[in-house]
Amino acid sequence: MVNPVLLIVVPLGLAFAIPLFGFISKRIEKYIPLTAMLFNLIVSLLLIPKALQQPIVVSIGGFPPPFCINLVAGPVGILFSAIIALVGLLVSVYALDYIKQGATGEYHILYLLLLVGATGVVLTGDIFNLFVFFEILCISSYALVAHSGDKAGIESAVKYLIQGAIGSSLILIAIALLYGLFGTLNMADIARNIDSVSSISVFVPLVLFITGLGVEAAIFPLNAWLPDAHSSAPSSISAILSGIAIEVGIYAVARVIFTIFGAQSILLFLLLLGILTLLIGEMCAFSQRNIKRLLAYSSIGQIGLILFALGIATHSGVVGGLFQIISHALSKALLFLAVGYMIYRTGSLEISTLEGMGRKMPLTSLAFTIGAFSLVGLPPFVGFPSKFLIVRAALIAQEPLFVVLIALVLLGTIIEGAYFLRIVQVLYFKGEKSNSKIEDAPIVALIPIFILMLLILIIGIYPKLLTGVLNSAAGEFLNRVGYIKSVLG
Amino acid sequence: MIYYLGAFGLIFIGLYIVLVKHNLIKVIIGLSILNTGINLFLISIGFVKKGTAPIFSHPGLKAIRMVDPVPQALVLTAIVIGVAVLALALSLAIRLYQHYGTLNLRKIREQKW
Repeated sequence: MVNPVLLIVVPLGLAFAIPLFGFISKRIEKYIPLTAMLFNLIVSLLLIPKALQQPIVVSIGGFPPPFCINLVAGPVGILFSAIIALVGLLVSVYALDYIKQGATGEYHILYLLLLVGATGVVLTGDIFNLFVFFEILCISSYALVAHSGDKAGIESAVKYLIQGAIGSSLILIAIALLYGLFGTLNMADIARNIDSVSSISVFVPLVLFITGLGVEAAIFPLNAWLPDAHSSAPSSISAILSGIAIEVGIYAVARVIFTIFGAQSILLFLLLLGILTLLIGEMCAFSQRNIKRLLAYSSIGQIGLILFALGIATHSGVVGGLFQIISHALSKALLFLAVGYMIYRTGSLEISTLEGMGRKMPLTSLAFTIGAFSLVGLPPFVGFPSKFLIVRAALIAQEPLFVVLIALVLLGTIIEGAYFLRIVQVLYFKGEKSNSKIEDAPIVALIPIFILMLLILIIGIYPKLLTGVLNSAAGEFLNRVGYIKSVLG
Repeated sequence: MIYYLGAFGLIFIGLYIVLVKHNLIKVIIGLSILNTGINLFLISIGFVKKGTAPIFSHPGLKAIRMVDPVPQALVLTAIVIGVAVLALALSLAIRLYQHYGTLNLRKIREQKW
């Protein structure tokens, strides 16, 4: 059996070996992230059947948990690490051609470190370890946002860094408080003992955790950094930040609330925050003229939807939320990748300059259209089953409040549809017929775009492919006792 | 007790500086003070008065007088992470100054909602 620890160790080792490979030849450097992510994808896929039966618990150092740092590769962890590896692999193929100037070697190191951090966050079973991996993810994303080195990139990176640093400080205070209360850092051990102390003393760390992780997850009042950072980063990085980084933040919030604290009382608050995030994100996106900013705001809206689905906290609600995470990761990565070359060719971020792109860059425009339709939730794309599951979960929960809230969610979807269809209209039906042919994206960039399109279509037509994994993943989130038992025995 | 007061004092001073000051360098100093406060807080959780290192170096040592080593390991890690963030922040500040000619965050506002 392959050990899940390889999912972290191999990419981490390769990341720091990139400068060494650079000594041999500068041209190998860019193939290293690709190799590492291919390895991660294969290992994750191999581990899925095993993890579905029983979470794989790896104790590092040979001590039994809770005395060691442990990795828990349950259905959730493996599902997330597979998505990270898949999107990471496709984006690194895209970056082979896209990242040409500037510090390319450093770009690849940081890119790989970002993905290692994300994989570590989803696999770890120790809260301090979670903090460390979170910091790896955050620090590399601060640096990557500033990669282009232009005015906008540096300014957004500074904003992101200040907000992110305060967020992670809050997480560290929460970890210190929990350690003071329980004398352990193991998630399962804390979860086992959480009921033995008064609820007011665990409330403070809970709030600090949600606030701190909420900065990275871009939950509403804490998301001021996101539109700047996602729109100023290189498009390949925007795809990763939007498709992976904020999802990992949401995962951490869900893990803390469901598994560690088992906090039922705060779910309603999260539900309302989710609705607020959704509506504000969609409304801001509606008024944007800058295409990447529009996509960034749409990410905020999607995060709100995911938070809403997780906040329902029934089995079908969590399944819907996880499905929405997958659908958002695929669709938003596709959108950013497609937009990346449109911007590269036209040299402008304004939506109006995309006029007539449907004729000039037909394949890229088709990819954008599919991604946009999938995000809006049109069948037969992957956004449809995920949104459908969320709506169904809210309706079968038999609470009048949920019916009102789901109406607001659908309102958000209508706004989303309005602005995405407007862009599709600009792509295909605006602008005079001119013969000024712009070259389509190069073949290296089209391969990942096509694979993403295919995945969106296949999962959209046949969502049963994922239901097995999603059901047991939702089970892991909701069944705290099972999680504690599988880790501590 | 005094350690906890000191730690939270530092944390709040740091937060105050980050929230109120306009100069990026001062904000970064604030982040650093905030970090120091948290590290002090972590250390004081494991602190035992007149304690010893958690090593049974000679017979008769009682485990109850030993200092908890875990918070110290945590603080070491947190310090390293803090240094990385600080270094990145300072290098970004240099680049920001090259672009704008100022470090006043109120004057640097090209990106907004």
